[in-house]
Amino acid sequence: MSDTVLDDDRTTALSTQPDAPVRAPVRTPLAALRQLWRQLTSMRTALLLLALLALAAIPGTVIPQRGLDPVKVNSFLAAHPHLGPLMDKLSLFDVFAAPWFAAIYLLLALSLVGCLVPRIRLHARALRRRPPNAPRNLTRLTASTQWDSDEPAADVAARVHQVLRGMHWRADVREEPDGVVTVAAEKGYLRETGNLVFHVALLLLLVGIALSGLYGYKGTVLVGPGQGFANARLDYDVFEPSRLFSNSQLSPFSFSLQNFTATYQSNGEPTAFNAYVSYKSSPSAVARPFDIRVNHPLNVKGAKIFLVGHGYSLLLKVTNRKGQVEYDGQTPFLPDNSQFASHGVVKIPSLGGKDGQLGLTGEFYPTAVPTTAGLVSTYPGLDNPMLSLAAWRGNLGLNSGVPQSDYSLPVGGLKNIGVKDLTKGESWKLPDGATVTFEGIDQWATFQVAHEPGKRTVLAAAVLIIAGLLGSLRVRRRRFWIRAVPAAAGDPAGRTVVTAAGLARSDVGGFVDELDDLMAQIGPSRAGDAGTERD
Amino acid sequence: MAPNLHLAHVSDVLLTWTVFCYAFAMLGYAAEFAATRRSMARRDASGLFARYLSGVRLGRAAVALTVIGFGFHIASVTTRGLAVHRVPWGNMYEFSCMVTLVAVAIYLALLMSQPLKRIAATALRRPNAHLISWRSRESVRYLGAFMMAPVVLYLGLAGTVLYAAPGPLVPALDSYWIKIHVVAAITATGAFMVSGVVTALYLLKERWERGLPPLRLALRRRVQAPLRPQRVSVGPGTAAVAEMNARSGLMQSLPSAASLDRLAYRIITFAFPVWTFAIIAGAIWAEQAWSRYWGWDPKETWSFITWLGYAAYLHARATAGWRGRKAAMLSLIAFACLMVDYYVVNTVITGLHSYAGIS
Repeated sequence: MSDTVLDDDRTTALSTQPDAPVRAPVRTPLAALRQLWRQLTSMRTALLLLALLALAAIPGTVIPQRGLDPVKVNSFLAAHPHLGPLMDKLSLFDVFAAPWFAAIYLLLALSLVGCLVPRIRLHARALRRRPPNAPRNLTRLTASTQWDSDEPAADVAARVHQVLRGMHWRADVREEPDGVVTVAAEKGYLRETGNLVFHVALLLLLVGIALSGLYGYKGTVLVGPGQGFANARLDYDVFEPSRLFSNSQLSPFSFSLQNFTATYQSNGEPTAFNAYVSYKSSPSAVARPFDIRVNHPLNVKGAKIFLVGHGYSLLLKVTNRKGQVEYDGQTPFLPDNSQFASHGVVKIPSLGGKDGQLGLTGEFYPTAVPTTAGLVSTYPGLDNPMLSLAAWRGNLGLNSGVPQSDYSLPVGGLKNIGVKDLTKGESWKLPDGATVTFEGIDQWATFQVAHEPGKRTVLAAAVLIIAGLLGSLRVRRRRFWIRAVPAAAGDPAGRTVVTAAGLARSDVGGFVDELDDLMAQIGPSRAGDAGTERD
Repeated sequence: MAPNLHLAHVSDVLLTWTVFCYAFAMLGYAAEFAATRRSMARRDASGLFARYLSGVRLGRAAVALTVIGFGFHIASVTTRGLAVHRVPWGNMYEFSCMVTLVAVAIYLALLMSQPLKRIAATALRRPNAHLISWRSRESVRYLGAFMMAPVVLYLGLAGTVLYAAPGPLVPALDSYWIKIHVVAAITATGAFMVSGVVTALYLLKERWERGLPPLRLALRRRVQAPLRPQRVSVGPGTAAVAEMNARSGLMQSLPSAASLDRLAYRIITFAFPVWTFAIIAGAIWAEQAWSRYWGWDPKETWSFITWLGYAAYLHARATAGWRGRKAAMLSLIAFACLMVDYYVVNTVITGLHSYAGIS
């Protein structure tokens, strides 16, 4: 009996480490390795690594992180010229990509594999094996009861066996040489199955994360009203490929922004953003409409398109002194604050003739209110839109070969030729004859396109994690035995003495109630049973 | 749609009544606890019974107050939801109200479960009703005072510091996932709160059972050898029980350390999968809202740290040498992480989960 219980301890305890580790002196390198492996796969190490992983994650929430807020990291580095670079060397600004962080979770994964392999083997064996024999002295178990019965021992056992099978117990009837008949039953194998599924799913999760990290890509693009985007690397404003990314992974979808709307509460808090787009999943496909919102991304084959930002786009027209149109188009203005005071520029390489280059810098206020410090915007919606323009002459540096931002104009070497506030529809005649017209207001949107090939694996792993956890934590592994001892031979008044006992291998409550139910079906209430029950 | 300010005011008033009911219930539980202790200590037959009875009456009144408060509590969050035309868990104030609602619901469920089973067993006249003595029948009501204290504290903090004026959801929260992710987070947090209280009581009772003074003298006592060799909490033997009965003290009327430990474990085995689900549902939502399922945002990271903490507890509970006190400490550390996740991350650390709504 003690053998079976010990054996069972090994299958249900969480560690595969032997109960009493043999402390033999380490002789060979192989033995030393084995010892190390045993240490690594022990529960104590797993506990330590779990705690270490939790501790290691804390700096990532306290110290600014590049992945979350690169601006903050730079200002921290500027503020701490000595400490900053040292912390950077220790990857403290990229904690979750740090080698030491990876070392901890990879060790944990390794420890997990080392623990899982033997346990899966043990469990597979346990699933095939029959329930262990009834212990000789059942009354020594905490939950046991005993009664007398007129039924022969074999009948009692057969009846109990039937009831147990009906309740989905794995049960065996065994006859011992002295005529004693026992029933051994076990239930709740799902606990260990769930436990193993949960831990395997954790490894699967890591695989999914690795897949996305190796083959995925991510990019953002600003799309103006009426403008389109085709999924090619050069069309992105920012593109972040993964390590093993190749351009062939870009699926050939395209979309154009038809209209963007934003609505706000009276206090300026946003209530809804809608980007109405028309998209094609491939160049030959039919264009379909879609409404991309926050929490409502567009799924195309191979990627997901999210709405991540928005701003005003002004329709500006510039004509030269002869009335020829030099610029006519949507000019995106980038928001500077939550009330959407925004800035933007227009660069015109030539106004024709000897007039040279013209630069316009503008500040846009959707709801302009004059203050002593100039115009400010007091509401993100278009209540009183006002464009404040400044015009600049000189060499804009467009041919210098240095890449330039579309949203800023370094005005260092330029000459200011005028400043003017415009409302929608107004024109401004510059001193040198050119005319700027503020024709209309639209909105642009920025989209993030993300392709994560491991996402389905991660989701599948997540589902298995939950299922496994429920099995492993909410199912009880329990055993039940009956020992029916027949009356002594030649004793006509003798009766069968039945002892029943239950043993929960894990202490989730409710086993006692289950035993109650079980006893109600097989217990001493049957006809011919005497009431000599004992707890 | 503009919030219904009148209804929102009704909700606020109902919450005040809730807090009053819970606070008086806490006093009732504490009084019962104290009365029972004294009657146990004195052991004079006449006084004992009278005191015991008065204690029981106080305890029953406390339960009644808890139930009435619970009714107000439900009414308060319901009217809040009706006033703002959305689910009533869109900011920290509303979240706190929901978490405490869950915690009280779990406490009441624990309170109900034991007597109900007993009543069912006798009503059915089951031939094996005697087997119910297999169960330790220690009253959950003794936990009442300790349960109500954090609930009142939490609600008090919610109603004063964290209070947010009624209003609509920000677009980032406006998704059906708020019903899935946040409900799971609320349920798990409420359950962890109950398990935290039970675990703290376990640690106190466990010390008492080992014959050590409560925490107050812990530092001074540490240098001395323990009175008896350390015992893993499998329950005291008969001699030890007799010895404990000879001693008296506030701790005596608490359920045994072993049963407190079991209760805390049971609650955590419920809360942990729910918490895991909350994190996963949050990741799915994040994938839709922010284009990535995991980004090590402070909220995500602290939720993960909390998860690791409870995972460590569950492993420790299955590891020889870690069972009992050490595992309980891990569970309390995990709960502390949960509180950091909730209070510190929402108010101090800026991240994507800045929906506290505190102005």
